[in-house]
Amino acid sequence: MIEISNLGFSYGPKAVLKNISMKVSEGNIYGLLGENGVGKTTLLTLLCGLKKPQAGTILVDGRNPFDRQPSLLADQFYLPDEVSPVHAKAIDFAKEHGVFWPNFDLEKFTTILAELEVESDQRMDAMSAGQLKKTWIAFALACNAKYYYLDEPTNGLDIPSKAQFRKAVTRYTAEDSTLIISTHQVRDLENIIDPIIILDNQAVLVNASMQEISEKLYFDYGTEIQPGALYLEQTPGGCIQVYPNTTGEESKVNVEAFFNTVHAHKDLVKPMFNSEK
Amino acid sequence: MNEIFDFKRFWTYFKYDLKQAWRNHSKAAIMIGGASAIFYVIWVLASLVFTQHWSSPIIYARMGVFFVAFAILELYMVRTYGHLTDKKAGSNWLMVPASKAEKFVSMLLMVCIVIPLLFFVVYMVIDGFLSLVDPTYGQALFTGFTGAYSKMLEVLAELGAESPIVFTPSSFIFPTIVSVFCNFLYFLLCGICFKKNKLVSAIAILFGLSLVLSLLTGIFVPRIFTNIDFNNMDDMQVARWLTGCMNAGVILSCLLTVGLGWGVWRRIKTIQH
Repeated sequence: MIEISNLGFSYGPKAVLKNISMKVSEGNIYGLLGENGVGKTTLLTLLCGLKKPQAGTILVDGRNPFDRQPSLLADQFYLPDEVSPVHAKAIDFAKEHGVFWPNFDLEKFTTILAELEVESDQRMDAMSAGQLKKTWIAFALACNAKYYYLDEPTNGLDIPSKAQFRKAVTRYTAEDSTLIISTHQVRDLENIIDPIIILDNQAVLVNASMQEISEKLYFDYGTEIQPGALYLEQTPGGCIQVYPNTTGEESKVNVEAFFNTVHAHKDLVKPMFNSEK
Repeated sequence: MNEIFDFKRFWTYFKYDLKQAWRNHSKAAIMIGGASAIFYVIWVLASLVFTQHWSSPIIYARMGVFFVAFAILELYMVRTYGHLTDKKAGSNWLMVPASKAEKFVSMLLMVCIVIPLLFFVVYMVIDGFLSLVDPTYGQALFTGFTGAYSKMLEVLAELGAESPIVFTPSSFIFPTIVSVFCNFLYFLLCGICFKKNKLVSAIAILFGLSLVLSLLTGIFVPRIFTNIDFNNMDDMQVARWLTGCMNAGVILSCLLTVGLGWGVWRRIKTIQH
């Protein structure tokens, strides 16, 4: 369980996160969404202990991530947006680096790497950005960590690899693993992320499961334009409309439309969801 | 799980650090260690061109090259863990599941023992090899150094018989080791503190500190000497005074080394990306 209380962080005079409080429960794949510069990466780096909170606290299973205790580091994996090239073959890197994660599985690494179509005996410093990212993704998933913080994991991946990534995440992470995936590419991940956290300037607008979202908002994919829609987007086959769910009818959540709805009606949507749970 | 220092985990981490160091720094260490061979080739070629005679470098020139190579090795310490300030590589290093103390001890061992030892071994092996294959080369530096050490023991024994100051090899070796560690740690600390222009910044600070120290020495040392009446002191008192000065210097060096080590530790503890 991750508990964030009154978290604050600034870069100089510019406050990025202010008074953020929320709970992240185990066994979910969270989608962390937000506009550029709202602090998604900052939040992830705070969660994994790369940064120290300037206000408030973060507790991951009761431990402060910035203490960087080996037991917590072995329980988590942070995958940055831009990964580091290593002067080694992928397989050698995995063998040498993996020993620190008690549940690391080398066979799983080679399997995922093969599924992502990267040669395990290829040198990492000679890989393209996409191949390097895939190698790190395979390594991360092979660590069998409890907490994953993935920053824009599909950036730089080609179209088949994005599908392979989704498959690998659902197939190779344990049921009790918690993933927090920061992304702008919501379409790449919308089938796997649930719940969704939407960060806004210095606040959590939404922290809700797909079920809760569909209970509170109705996503209409029909052709007939409804009055009172909070959000409307023309699509080639018709349109997507989002409006408050007054009938209790279920609908498939379109994450991009949901994000745009929240973005356009912050004051209306925020009270609908209790963001501090 | 011991969160502060676990020997098994430390050994795992140290092996990992060794592999990383070998991968990233062995070429440079071998290059610096191979300075004797480079110097030998240049010297021989120059003598062939200018004198038409095969001639090897004289022992003093070889010793000079050794000390220059060692100084370059000291400067190189800014690079050994310089990647810590890089966002990508530094984040990766911080997220390796080992404790800060384990990473710190491994770093100290690597910078103060492993890399210098690698340099020393490479240097002495190449120098020894040249001494074996070229009769004009003279004795190997290693033999020269051990010979110089024996000579020092003899001189100290002679001095000890006449002088009230008791000199032992450790009177010289210990301060030398401390000052070498001090230099290694200084450049390591600069490497993990400065994001850019690490070496230039390190040298600039050193230059600035030297200026300030020279100024302070110029002001205070004459005052100290004018307050001491050497004419009314017997040999024993002068000897005690000199020994005290030497000890104070050694203690200061030790404190500086510990301070630099503490700086490295603080940086490891507080670095953020």
